[in-house]
Amino acid sequence: MNFDATTIIYILEIVVGGLLVGIGVHFVPVGGAPAAMAQATGIGTGTVQLAAGSGLTGLLSAGLMMSVTDNLWPIIATGAVGAMIMIDATMLTGSWIYAYAVGAPFASAKVNYDPITGFSQPPYVAPGTVGQGIPTICYVSGTIGAAMGGVGGALIYYPLVMINNNPSLSAVFAIGIFLVNAVLASWNIQGTIEGFHDPKFKKWPAAFKACLVSTFILALVAVIITGGA
Amino acid sequence: MDALSMGLVAAMGALATVAGASEDIDSDIGSQSNPNSQVQLAAQVGNPHRIYNKAIAGEPPSNALWCTTAAIVAYMLIEAFQMPALFSIALGASVAALFDGVMSMSAYFGRNASQKRFNQWVYLDIVRYTTPSIMAHVWITSFCIVTITYIQVYVLTPHHPFPIPVIALIWGLTVGAIGSSVGDIHYGGEREFQWRLFGQGLNTMLSGQIVRKAEAGLRNSIDNAWFCAKFGGPATGMGFGLTVFLDNWRTTVFDPVSQALLAIGTGVFFVIVMNLYNFYLERSARRKYGPYPGYKGDIAA
Repeated sequence: MNFDATTIIYILEIVVGGLLVGIGVHFVPVGGAPAAMAQATGIGTGTVQLAAGSGLTGLLSAGLMMSVTDNLWPIIATGAVGAMIMIDATMLTGSWIYAYAVGAPFASAKVNYDPITGFSQPPYVAPGTVGQGIPTICYVSGTIGAAMGGVGGALIYYPLVMINNNPSLSAVFAIGIFLVNAVLASWNIQGTIEGFHDPKFKKWPAAFKACLVSTFILALVAVIITGGA
Repeated sequence: MDALSMGLVAAMGALATVAGASEDIDSDIGSQSNPNSQVQLAAQVGNPHRIYNKAIAGEPPSNALWCTTAAIVAYMLIEAFQMPALFSIALGASVAALFDGVMSMSAYFGRNASQKRFNQWVYLDIVRYTTPSIMAHVWITSFCIVTITYIQVYVLTPHHPFPIPVIALIWGLTVGAIGSSVGDIHYGGEREFQWRLFGQGLNTMLSGQIVRKAEAGLRNSIDNAWFCAKFGGPATGMGFGLTVFLDNWRTTVFDPVSQALLAIGTGVFFVIVMNLYNFYLERSARRKYGPYPGYKGDIAA
């Protein structure tokens, strides 16, 4: 294969996709194991797992769209929508459990007032916990994060298919690059984050740099391997 | 859009709902995911128990493994031996359930044996009657998910370009992520700590103080499945069912080639509706439950 201008654009697309995944993970409100005991605000699971679940659902939608069109825009838009539907359905059903089974009002421990709704938060934080449930700010932040993950996954998948015309091979490489970036970002987050209003969100430049280096190497490898196959 | 495609999407939604519910109940019986941190901790803070303990991996990777195993066996039988699809998928799910049985038992023996110094026993009766229940639920999850992938790849138009095992891997990860995010809260936030004050999450001071007595006798994991099957399991099923149904509905009703914009717009509409519904839930929970009485700060509720 030749390294012409088109190949370089494809590599850049993969790098941008990887960066979107890395930054998008910072938006997803994950409370880890404590949130499963309604002990922390956010979704009760790990960062990588939720980001992968939503982003890869978006990849499935993008893959289906790419089998019928070569136009980049509907592919990345449908990837974003697929990922947003998954994370919204998850957060919504999770909210049912917080509201109707645990019986707790939703509250964030990181801000005094919800920046979107203006609701006060500290009076609703249960004693001995750091918040519970998924307040509106976290829900919106999670939706944005999923959209970025979905767009990122589609942007990684699209150039690989354009190079080799093999959806199976491209999907496996896209899943791999996606997971590397999600894991790097979750190390930066150190377990839990509430969304873009969380002070930890300011650490995103570190993840940006790490994802930039790793995705660039992975993009080169992916293009060479899948293009030469 | 044709009637057959709509029927298939409905069937996929129903299968996904069953898969989500059985996935969550499997993780509750095995005490696999996030709330298992409390089960592990219980023995260490002086509460030995009869709860199963199979933290093989996080729910998403382990379910991805079972579903991919089932899908690979089914795919091989269908493609290489021209076996009937239903038989192949059932056999694939059985192989996945066997894998799960082996790993669950080794996880239970390993974890409980390593806690011997905390007086935690290995109960052989628990292994005998809990492991088959776990395997049965994994069978249902794998069967439903591989059937969904089969429909997506071979029946529904446009056919999905990914091979069956890759789609099963992704749906396995997704169902695990949803089970871990939704059903776990019912098990960890409610069932494990039923004696604390209702209406709040677990106070950090009470970590490891799990309930060990059942409605009759000592509590085991089957009791937990009985409780979580009432709400946590169905809610997880609803989450996964909504994901599979809504995502496929929009590309089935609207042609992805000529009506791509409508398909994407419908998805955005669903997203906005779900955001508004969560806002309604938040507002009604705040209004019904009110602030916590012990709050001493100066921010008004």
